[in-house]
Amino acid sequence: MTTKLDIIIAGGGRVGFQTAEMLDDLGHDVRIVERDGERCEQIADAYFATVIEGDAANPDILEQAAVDRADAVAALTGETGLNLAVCMAAERLSPEIRSVCRIDRAAGESYTRFVDAVLFPERAGARVAVNEIIGGDVQTLADVTGTLDIMQIRVVEGAPAANKTLQEIRFPSGTLVISDDDGERIARPDTTLDPGRRYIVAVEPDVAGEVMNLLRG
Amino acid sequence: MSSHGERAPEAELGLLDATMIGMGAMIGAGIFVLTGLAAEIAGPGAIFVFALNGVVTAFTGLSYAELASAIPKSGGGYAFVREVFADLQSFLMGWMLWFAYMIAGALYALGFAPNFLELLHVYGIVPPPDQVGAIALPVIDAGIPAGVGLAFVAVALFVALNAVSTAASGSIETIFTATKVTILMIFVGFGVASPMFSSAEFQPLFPGDRTAFAVLPAMGLTFIAFEGYDLITTVTEEVKNPRENIPKAIFVSLAVTVVVYLLVVTVAIGTLGASGLAAAGEAGIAQAATEFMPTGLPVIKNGGAVIVFGAVFSTLTALNAVVIASSRVAFSMGREGQLLPGFGQLHHRFGTPFVAIVTSAIVMLGSVVLPTQSAGNMSSLFFLLSFIVVNGAVIKLRRERPDMTRPYEMPLYPLPPLLGIVLNLVLTVVLIEFLIRTDPLALVLSVSWIVLGVVTYVGLNRFKTARGVGAGTDEIGEPDELETTDVDAAFEEESEGGAGTDAGLAADEDD
Repeated sequence: MTTKLDIIIAGGGRVGFQTAEMLDDLGHDVRIVERDGERCEQIADAYFATVIEGDAANPDILEQAAVDRADAVAALTGETGLNLAVCMAAERLSPEIRSVCRIDRAAGESYTRFVDAVLFPERAGARVAVNEIIGGDVQTLADVTGTLDIMQIRVVEGAPAANKTLQEIRFPSGTLVISDDDGERIARPDTTLDPGRRYIVAVEPDVAGEVMNLLRG
Repeated sequence: MSSHGERAPEAELGLLDATMIGMGAMIGAGIFVLTGLAAEIAGPGAIFVFALNGVVTAFTGLSYAELASAIPKSGGGYAFVREVFADLQSFLMGWMLWFAYMIAGALYALGFAPNFLELLHVYGIVPPPDQVGAIALPVIDAGIPAGVGLAFVAVALFVALNAVSTAASGSIETIFTATKVTILMIFVGFGVASPMFSSAEFQPLFPGDRTAFAVLPAMGLTFIAFEGYDLITTVTEEVKNPRENIPKAIFVSLAVTVVVYLLVVTVAIGTLGASGLAAAGEAGIAQAATEFMPTGLPVIKNGGAVIVFGAVFSTLTALNAVVIASSRVAFSMGREGQLLPGFGQLHHRFGTPFVAIVTSAIVMLGSVVLPTQSAGNMSSLFFLLSFIVVNGAVIKLRRERPDMTRPYEMPLYPLPPLLGIVLNLVLTVVLIEFLIRTDPLALVLSVSWIVLGVVTYVGLNRFKTARGVGAGTDEIGEPDELETTDVDAAFEEESEGGAGTDAGLAADEDD
């Protein structure tokens, strides 16, 4: 089964942009909604997401972002009220959607009555946004230096690498499987990637999508 | 040192590389294989066939440029249409494009065979191609025509190569294309200088009972020669600065290709004559070359051998390109949940979309028994149909997402996509009418493929529904729904996970 998600990011500022870029690296489809025309051009230049120029709380704009087929919406602008409005509008237009709302103070936890998840970028950064949107099966543990990611990934039944030993699999360069299942031992050539178990994997962003394909299908 | 085997990541492509990928596909085999067939239908008017196809295809080129700059996805026409259209339409788009590439593969393999025999003949290894009989198969006591056998082997070889390695980087493609263009320019140079050309006779342009309308079916047949920009857009994510380089690559490759085609076709008709070219069929250009290229050279003996080599080389590189292209379309469809999941997965050892490649191979291998002309007809037909959809996608996207950021906007919208739709539609109708008269087999197979597509679509949705996830209500088996369920389930699992330790694994402690 494909685990490719279709995601709308509202707000293409620092947090939104970083989040979208990481999601794209992991092989997901991303659309960014951004108010500022100049910023839209910059995002388009980076060439990893389609960009809609406009106010994400506007239902017409949300429709242009194809909210009806998105798996998740993440409202990541700097304005809590606007973010909440975006999430609620998206949920109204597409009840199944997973909504993630950026808020600016700890008291914002109470917003979870209205949205599926909240985040404080000041504390957690874009990394957490990625983890929230994708779900519990793939967790980015750390940005080590610069761009390298260390992630905990749950292997899916039926994925190309499932039930294979590491020596049978040729990962793209820039990949290192670090841990044995559930992180108790360092991986060895005869370590088997059991479906349902999690492995710590270090990846360079260029190849993260390929690694996801192998481990998650 | 890591404990597992690795592959090197793919290279980044510049403007030159992207342009060469497009040109490589367009200048590849079409010019060698289809020129003779076009001359057969249109006479010396074949010159206009390629020029007019260049014009028709330019409108679709504008649409591709706009879509590729705004939708940052590899996967070509299918990826763009998937962004805009509903499930069934986008499925059919991918399904048609996939087929177009597979049949193009068969076409190139079929064009390779006679040219390869011609090359062997130039060196005196085999008798002239028309005298090479069937290869006797000792085991099953039956003969298969040498051409079909060769085509089969060529396809099998490239599929095997692509199934186990992710080679074919842009820089290799650049060298390939440069080689092809150089060889063609040698051909043009010697052709223009030859005495045959100075006495060339292009009148009457439409001999016999042909009228100017004879160019239309020939245009349809040779349309496949211009499928190259779809190929450029299948690798957009690997191109540097794509919003500028993709439109440029599309236009430059198209312009250069049209010029090269005009020169080569003019020389071929000028030297061999339209009827001679028509008689030579798939090996037309190679045969024309052997007529006027100098002979008695050291090592290569016959100057014509250079051109024949060019034909062999071009058909093979084009074959390689469409093997990759067809598997990428199937891979994208698998990723989108529009084919069985296996299509969207990389092979654990080879790192290639193995299932997509092998499945494409089966269709390609099956298709090499087709006559070359049928293969050309079918492939062109499906490219025409899918280009109509791509032009439609531009219009639909402009209407539905007016506020989308489009780094490249085509001039004079909505004229180019409308013209693109109308002209492609005219060619489609003419081609279908032509097929009814001359090649019902191709038509039947084409219709069967579409019917098979609809059956597959319905079957696939049944299969998904049967798995008990995302039971289709409004839109049957919508893949998005599957994924949402998956994520939610994963979240619930999370709380209980991770307690079990596997005793069996303790054994590898001191490895």
